[in-house]
Amino acid sequence: MSLNIVVAVKWVPNTQVVNIDPKTGTLIREGIPSIINPHDLNAVELALQLKERYGGTVTAISMAPTSARAGLEFIIGMGVDRAILVTDRVFAGADTLATSYTLSKAIERLKPFDILVFGQETIDSSTAHIGAQTASWLRIPYIYYVTDVEYLNGVVKVKRKLEKRIEVYELPIPCLLVVAMKSNEPRSVKLSYKLKAKMENCIEVWTNNELGLTRECIGLRGSPTRVEKSIATPSVPRKKQKFDGQDVKTAVKWLVDKLVEEGLKIV
Amino acid sequence: MSTAGICPEWDLIIKDEWRGVWIFVETFDGEVNEASLQLLNPGRMIADKIKAKLVGVMLGHNIRHLVREPIYYGADEVIYVDDPALSTYTPEVYAETLISLVRKYKPEIILAAGTLRGREMIPYVANILRAGITADCTDFDVDVNTRDLIMIRPPFGATLLAHIRAPERRPQLSTVRPNVFKLPSRDVSRRGELIEEKVDVPPPRIKLISSEEVKVEEVPIEKAEIIVSGGRGLGSPEGFKLLEKLAELVGGVVAGSRKAVDAGWIPHERQVGQTGKSVKASLYIAVGISGAAQHLFGIREAGIVVAINNDPEAPIFENADYGIVADYREAVPALIEEITNRRSR
Ligand SMILES: Cc1cc2nc3c(=O)[nH]c(=O)nc-3n(C[C@H](O)[C@H](O)[C@H](O)COP(=O)(O)OP(=O)(O)OC[C@H]3O[C@@H](n4cnc5c(N)ncnc54)[C@H](O)[C@@H]3O)c2cc1C
Ligand SMILES: Nc1ncnc2c1ncn2[C@@H]1O[C@H](COP(=O)(O)O)[C@@H](O)[C@H]1O
Repeated sequence: MSLNIVVAVKWVPNTQVVNIDPKTGTLIREGIPSIINPHDLNAVELALQLKERYGGTVTAISMAPTSARAGLEFIIGMGVDRAILVTDRVFAGADTLATSYTLSKAIERLKPFDILVFGQETIDSSTAHIGAQTASWLRIPYIYYVTDVEYLNGVVKVKRKLEKRIEVYELPIPCLLVVAMKSNEPRSVKLSYKLKAKMENCIEVWTNNELGLTRECIGLRGSPTRVEKSIATPSVPRKKQKFDGQDVKTAVKWLVDKLVEEGLKIV
Repeated sequence: MSTAGICPEWDLIIKDEWRGVWIFVETFDGEVNEASLQLLNPGRMIADKIKAKLVGVMLGHNIRHLVREPIYYGADEVIYVDDPALSTYTPEVYAETLISLVRKYKPEIILAAGTLRGREMIPYVANILRAGITADCTDFDVDVNTRDLIMIRPPFGATLLAHIRAPERRPQLSTVRPNVFKLPSRDVSRRGELIEEKVDVPPPRIKLISSEEVKVEEVPIEKAEIIVSGGRGLGSPEGFKLLEKLAELVGGVVAGSRKAVDAGWIPHERQVGQTGKSVKASLYIAVGISGAAQHLFGIREAGIVVAINNDPEAPIFENADYGIVADYREAVPALIEEITNRRSR
């Protein structure tokens, strides 16, 4: 028994360090470093735990610009055996349908796989679409919000958490699991793994030469959705009264008076 | 720019064959989900603009006593499937059943609540139909000429809103987080057609072994009357202890921005905003929160908004009723003291 596990990770701008220009109200994009989507590290951790318990290999896959190599090195450093960087200019501009299509075609090349592991959502787009959509292209069963996994004789038993429920499901392999955010503690990087990765050259790059996908089905052209325009946020009308003085005591007195005037029963 | 919808592997879409606005109304756990019914609100607006029927769609087992609810809240018609095979939810089975109905009736628009189960099954539905989908929309409009749904959501970057369309494909799908729209009023005198459908429900490939309800101890933020909310400006989990003190004093609960959640200072269930929850508290106190559009969407329906922030330029002040420019480490204890003093007077 040994599992062929594939984990999907996205290379995203680190929104933790993104700031807004207070004057123009726009995003300060300069010098924003990218990182592996933090919720995907939970997926990597789960994949590595499965490998440790049941044996097998973990392959990471990411569709991204070539700069994502650094992210894949990081994942290899966590203990992933092999990483595939799916990259080509023709993949650019893809919405979630075209992204999941391209990813699923790449994942098909990793057959026979047993368990696909996805993060719950990305911090830059937060759609949580790609897991379900990839399962639909591959026509394999899937489940979201997984917190715990056991494997026995071709059956994957998962625990998952909904708003008010904890559920247990059994899925046959191959299947796709979407890991709940923050459901485990991702391990840190080991230098020895990283060095090994460099020597053994375990990051492969696949372009559309390898995948051979029709141009009309990928990238912007293969995306049903179009982002038309961006307009300024219409704000909810508020009173906008601001107390900007040195003395905090006076400020809070002013505030409590206002809240009492509004009829709020706080004192 | 080239057009979409010409991938030779997709079914051709003749747009004029697709008519009607559908709201997928969840009945999981034996009751009608309020978040789904809220969507009859934007649904009505869209349907009226393009003169289409507004239809509630329900799947489940033993749901006949529930199927009039969407009509009471504004739907013209309800299409439902009541089948023992739908007694337990699994994403694939529910999605495939909904897809069968979509193929038969060809609605042009489908809105669904962005509950955990909705977010799990709706992207699958969209993909099988090779249709466009957007998540977490915060508003809608519709182009009356093309009948394109304009799906509005804040994109990456904070103060702008993206308008997204899927001009070549039908149906057009969107999910919306709970409480983004107000529940329309319930009118039991409203009448509408009920259509029971029979569908070949596919056999499940995955099996539900157990399902256990868990008790939530704290008041969920979407139900709270007073919320004290903290952001990255708190700088540490200790900051939240201070907010808890204030919240306890005024009978409220604590919540946070996404950055506070990312930092691990507060659980995701208590995140306010586009990818968290929308709240309707009568008092919302934002402490150390800058006021990004994704956050502000979560407090559209809040009553009085108070901001405490040490940056006089922070956008939150433009979106608050009352603001204090101060370091929260001074302002929050001072506020606690002021309230305590007044009460003892
Ligand atoms: C797709 C997507 C979805 C998102 N969804 C959400 C969402 O649902 N909810 C959400 O909140 N965000 C969301 N975000 C993130 C959002 O864009 C902002 O990054 C986030 O809201 C900022 O959080 P913040 O205000 O806590 O932090 P910051 O923007 O870093 O603001 C911190 C504030 O604290 C103030 N401050 C610092 N020190 C002090 C002090 N000592 N006393 C008082 N004030 C102080 C600073 O002046 C500053 O204004 C989303 C982003 C994306 C891309
Ligand atoms: N470009 C990508 N390459 C690889 N995996 C991805 C990519 N985009 C999304 N994913 C996976 O899909 C999950 C959900 O992403 P999203 O739908 O963008 O919120 C992520 O957590 C990743 O596991």
